[in-house]
Amino acid sequence: MLTFIEEILLLTLDDENGSFLPIRDNTMDYVLAGAALLDLAFTYRIDTDPERLMLIDRKPPGIPMLDRVLERIAGSAEDRTTRDWVETLAREEAENLRESALARLVDQGILEVQDKKFLWVFRARRYPAIDGTVQREVKHRIAGVLLSDEVPDPRDVAIISLADSCAILRSIFSDHGMDSLRPRIDQVRKLDLIGREVAGTIEEIERTMAMAMARIPH
Amino acid sequence: MIISSDSQNGVTIVSINGRVDGASAPELEGELSSRIRDGSVRILLDCNEMNYISSAGLRVFLLAAKRCKQAGGLLSIAALQPSCRSVIEMGGFHTIIDCYDSRDEALAANA
Repeated sequence: MLTFIEEILLLTLDDENGSFLPIRDNTMDYVLAGAALLDLAFTYRIDTDPERLMLIDRKPPGIPMLDRVLERIAGSAEDRTTRDWVETLAREEAENLRESALARLVDQGILEVQDKKFLWVFRARRYPAIDGTVQREVKHRIAGVLLSDEVPDPRDVAIISLADSCAILRSIFSDHGMDSLRPRIDQVRKLDLIGREVAGTIEEIERTMAMAMARIPH
Repeated sequence: MIISSDSQNGVTIVSINGRVDGASAPELEGELSSRIRDGSVRILLDCNEMNYISSAGLRVFLLAAKRCKQAGGLLSIAALQPSCRSVIEMGGFHTIIDCYDSRDEALAANA
């Protein structure tokens, strides 16, 4: 089974050419941090409630990028909120999570690496899918939940919450589809507390940036 | 956490006493999964004595509700204490899982 970090990275890749969809860097950092916390929560290493994030088992999950995050949490002397951990991990671990997860996806034969060069100078790295089956499966699960009123699986809730936080559900559904799906998306994404904290953090930053922009004289 | 169960009018009533958190959630998940596998797909979680629920506990509730519904049954929740009700409502779980003020009210609705 893929980690949430791997699943969300797959969803952020363009199906056609393997380039990343346009998502603001720090938004993606928060999403990756949240995905790591979800991976640890679903393997019963951490738990959360509206007030705090708790360590419940310090045994490493056996995936180096997650072992490293768990070690950080286990080494913290004080109780911290989920949002506090989302912010810390986004700042300090996101790059490692992104690179490690992409390397794992390549090792698993899901993606391949293509370095694009222009006039012999390295310009961009792309990650085209080898056959796209895994991406299709994740999108199929998301569509299955959002296009029905079935009780969602907690794993599907988590990935929908992460995907909506970085606004990539539009790459699965059309703009028109998104409008009609919004009430269901909002219903589902609320069900996961870590996902709510990721979304809350991103919304707060966007609000702050909008206020700062509004103060700049034109 | 202590789990006990009985049955009334074809509804399996699972009573939860104590905390449902990351440490106890796997036990509750195992108990509910085993009942659903055995064909008990109309389940009422009596939460009158449940004094705490974390994210891990909420995921167990959701997964059990999904499995019951897939099997043609229904999982509902009764008698939440105010602190737990607030966590359930904050996440909107009450829009997906039927919640009742008391066990009797839940049984009447599921009769």
